[in-house]
Amino acid sequence: MRNNTKEADGKGFPLRITAVEVRVVDNPDATNVGQREIDFVKNMLPVLDWPALVQAASQLGIPTLPPQLTEQLAQDPAFLQALYHILMNVHLVKGMLTCPASGREFPVTDGIVNMMLEEEECERVRV
Amino acid sequence: MSRPELSGHASIFYNEREARKYNSSSRMVNVQREITLRAIELLLLSPDKASYILDIGCGSGLSGQVLEEKGHIWVGCDVSRDMLQVAHERIDDSFDGNNKNVENDEGSDEVHDPPLSTGDLLHHDMGTGLPFRPATFDACISISALQWLCYSNSASQNPKRRLLRFFSQLYAILKKSARAVLQFYPETAEQAVLISECATAVGFGGGVVVDYPNSTKAKKHYLVLSCDRTSSKQVQQSMPSVEEQTHVSVSAASRKGIDKPIRKKKGIKTKEWIIKKKETQRKRGKSVRPDTKYTARRRPTKF
Ligand SMILES: C[S@@+](CC[C@H](N)C(=O)[O-])C[C@H]1O[C@@H](n2cnc3c(N)ncnc32)[C@H](O)[C@@H]1O
Repeated sequence: MRNNTKEADGKGFPLRITAVEVRVVDNPDATNVGQREIDFVKNMLPVLDWPALVQAASQLGIPTLPPQLTEQLAQDPAFLQALYHILMNVHLVKGMLTCPASGREFPVTDGIVNMMLEEEECERVRV
Repeated sequence: MSRPELSGHASIFYNEREARKYNSSSRMVNVQREITLRAIELLLLSPDKASYILDIGCGSGLSGQVLEEKGHIWVGCDVSRDMLQVAHERIDDSFDGNNKNVENDEGSDEVHDPPLSTGDLLHHDMGTGLPFRPATFDACISISALQWLCYSNSASQNPKRRLLRFFSQLYAILKKSARAVLQFYPETAEQAVLISECATAVGFGGGVVVDYPNSTKAKKHYLVLSCDRTSSKQVQQSMPSVEEQTHVSVSAASRKGIDKPIRKKKGIKTKEWIIKKKETQRKRGKSVRPDTKYTARRRPTKF
């Protein structure tokens, strides 16, 4: 799920998700999410690109994220709990990530995304 | 013992057989575990906070498992699909509730049992860069993997280029206050110098910590990096305090300090050193081979 934060080597973000199989790990009890988890999500908020996350979630079959992240939501424990669940428990098992800029595809199988690049595809470095 | 790095690409060495063997050896599990604990210690993470950590060369997830126990959230990348497959199977098992730890008390915040999460996995070669957005991670660890970048497996692979690309992208994806601790096995002193020079070239502060320097077997190199962009001097100053702190907890380990500048590593057996040594030996009346143009020349590595 945090695949949405992955960038196709500077060439493009966000990656478009084509989901074939998604696994949602049961969230047996929302109160299970403790302060440590809430703090973690708060810490992640500045890292997340919200529109990209909303798009990624809907591509994974979760259309419920609000389009805008308001100050108020960012303080709301119930919202943060739900967000934690989406970030941590929704896994793309099988599918494809596609770079919006180049169309380069990164297949996902068994929950592992293949991002192997050829030397020619990599960022140039002066030695 | 010949080095696996000389046998070709890591994904060929870490094949399915090797990957299964790796995890079923309790000696291996324990060694990797101990190194990971030490690396976490050197990261100076806040124990009360769940950090978002990148594990580079995560392999079968042994190091990641330790991160989970400490209540952190990790993402792993590795070049060997077979190693990742083993990591995936363990993660899958824990989803199904087969994790033997799950029965334990759930409310405890200290033990993080069951873990907060299990890692996300990428099949990826660190030498080709790191596919994440800038300032994403709170920390990075890498256990027994970095030395692989010193070898080239094809004509197009240039070790220095791959190291520089790796470090510059690592620098970018870490948060401002983040640290990275990378434990590695240098084959030669030159490799350790090359690695730390590439790290400092892209802006990292820090240096190499050597644990158990007098033991061939237990000796471990940890590259400790900090991306504090404001002042690298501050980093230098803060490093010795790391040492003081850790000395207490691992008192049996004699080790050289981090305050040792990286450059000093150079020139253990330079030509001048050897000639001088021969001179001294001659004065003591020992029989010494004459100095020639071959003296102190580098010999090709034997297998
Ligand atoms: C000795 S294992 C350590 C695995 C794990 N960190 C642990 O502590 O158990 C080294 C790992 O580094 C990986 N590796 C080697 N070269 C790599 C590269 N260029 N990019 C990513 N991983 C690499 C290997 O595939 C292998 O899984």
